[in-house]
Amino acid sequence: MTRTGLNKILLWSLFGVCVIWLVVPFSMAILWSLVDPAEVWTPDKLLPPVMSFYRWTYLWQFSSLKTAMFNSYLLAPSAAILTLTLALPTAYALGRLKFPGKETAKLLALLPLVVPGFVTAIFFTAILFQLGLNAWRFGAILFAHSILFLPYAIRIMTVSFEQVRQDHIDAARDLGASPMARWYVAYVPALKPGIMATLLIVFIQSIEEFSIAFIVGAPNFTTIPTLLFTNLGQAFIRPNAAVLSLILVVPNIIFMLFLERVMRSANPALSSGKG
Amino acid sequence: MTWRSWLKIGLLLAPGLGLILIFIGSVVYIAIAQSFGYYNLAGESGFSLEYWAIMFDRATYSRAISYSLYVGTASAFLAVAFAYPLAIWLRRPFSGSLMISAILKAPLLVHGLVAAFLYINIISYHGILNQLMQWLGIWDGPHRLQNDRNAVGVLILQTWKNMPFALLLLAGAVQSISDDVLDAAADLGAGPWDRFRRVIAPLSVSATQAALVIIFIGALADFSFQVIAGPVNKQSLSQLMVFFKGYGRWNDAAVVAVTLMGLAIVGSGVLAVFSRFVMRGGRLK
Repeated sequence: MTRTGLNKILLWSLFGVCVIWLVVPFSMAILWSLVDPAEVWTPDKLLPPVMSFYRWTYLWQFSSLKTAMFNSYLLAPSAAILTLTLALPTAYALGRLKFPGKETAKLLALLPLVVPGFVTAIFFTAILFQLGLNAWRFGAILFAHSILFLPYAIRIMTVSFEQVRQDHIDAARDLGASPMARWYVAYVPALKPGIMATLLIVFIQSIEEFSIAFIVGAPNFTTIPTLLFTNLGQAFIRPNAAVLSLILVVPNIIFMLFLERVMRSANPALSSGKG
Repeated sequence: MTWRSWLKIGLLLAPGLGLILIFIGSVVYIAIAQSFGYYNLAGESGFSLEYWAIMFDRATYSRAISYSLYVGTASAFLAVAFAYPLAIWLRRPFSGSLMISAILKAPLLVHGLVAAFLYINIISYHGILNQLMQWLGIWDGPHRLQNDRNAVGVLILQTWKNMPFALLLLAGAVQSISDDVLDAAADLGAGPWDRFRRVIAPLSVSATQAALVIIFIGALADFSFQVIAGPVNKQSLSQLMVFFKGYGRWNDAAVVAVTLMGLAIVGSGVLAVFSRFVMRGGRLK
């Protein structure tokens, strides 16, 4: 059999597996989110007997979904901007300056990825209790998210700073550009994709983060993942969980597609800090 | 370097690396200190081995250790085992390879909790899988598949969620091997298996180690998959830690946390050495 023929067979097999793996679960979630409470969906029926958007409107009006979405969508961009701001000076030092111990510093910057998330979450709460800062939960989670996602930002921005060409900086200086003008003409164009990638990756990580939001925020501060967790546990109502799952996944797909465009030329493994 | 240069570098590193070291360092320090009786939030603080001694006598603690190690190791190996052949297959682009690559990356877009919901939706007592098996006449009645005793559900979810990460790392490593090297090996008489064993595997050791270690640490500390789809008679270490914290037993939670960190470090080291040894054909250097 030729390589092309083998590829075709593998391609179609994988396509079949993906249909089972992705299309079936998501179709089931969509159908469950449309089940109208007027008539239950019993196993003997292929499709829900009555379909409506009742669950969607009900959850929007009467659950803490609005609050959770507000919290998540305020937290994520704030964490993205704060993380980028904190990461930039370190990334500049690691990307542009030469000093002994630079490789060790790069490794140490990955520390938050090595300590298990729940250990960080629980003992960060202990620190907050010690400092008496446990009342301002939004600020606490924002701070924790920024630290937790700093490795991604430092890694991406270090690579971006390394890619700034010295001859561009020298050319700008030779033409009489001030330090600020040099920054705009030589640094900013090279850093732009890295900045976008950092903002998007931290945004997605923050929207998805569960352990810190769950441990530090509970029970008063709700985000979409903690609300979903509650609806998958004690308060499990399948159609409601389906609505929340779909709400959580759709923005991610849009942002990740955008990210794919931004990072088309970059190595995703390196950029996501996993390289 | 002058002191001015050092000062400049120190100031530049402070907001990023400095915060990481202070924050994560404090988390690790407090966990260790609390496990030995210091930093008590209520009552007297002082050195004590009591919390460790009591914990070692608890059956739930040793069960949680072996269960978490099982989930961590099995998830890491399964994710890499699925990702490796796919990375090699997708090394050279062909028609449809971009679409396949995009579909394989899809779980990266899906939150772990959503994946858990989708999964329990499929395998529930009256779910589509049970209905299909009955319709095909394989099963007489519905089977209880959720929260299975061997944590197969948790392993399926961990593999589903982590395989794309492993694929990202391995694909990068495998694609960076130049065709010249592989062609030279083929010219010297190496078949597909020898090319894999003697060229591709040794040159992708670092990516394999990174994938195994990252997935191992994440799965070792799993909480949400375990609570939603895991066996009800076993607890993961994270679950045990959250349980103790919920009752305000910070010292006990700290003992579990230190255990978790210790296992993460030791386990990662063992996995890294093991993968290097296997992929370099029994050599460590």
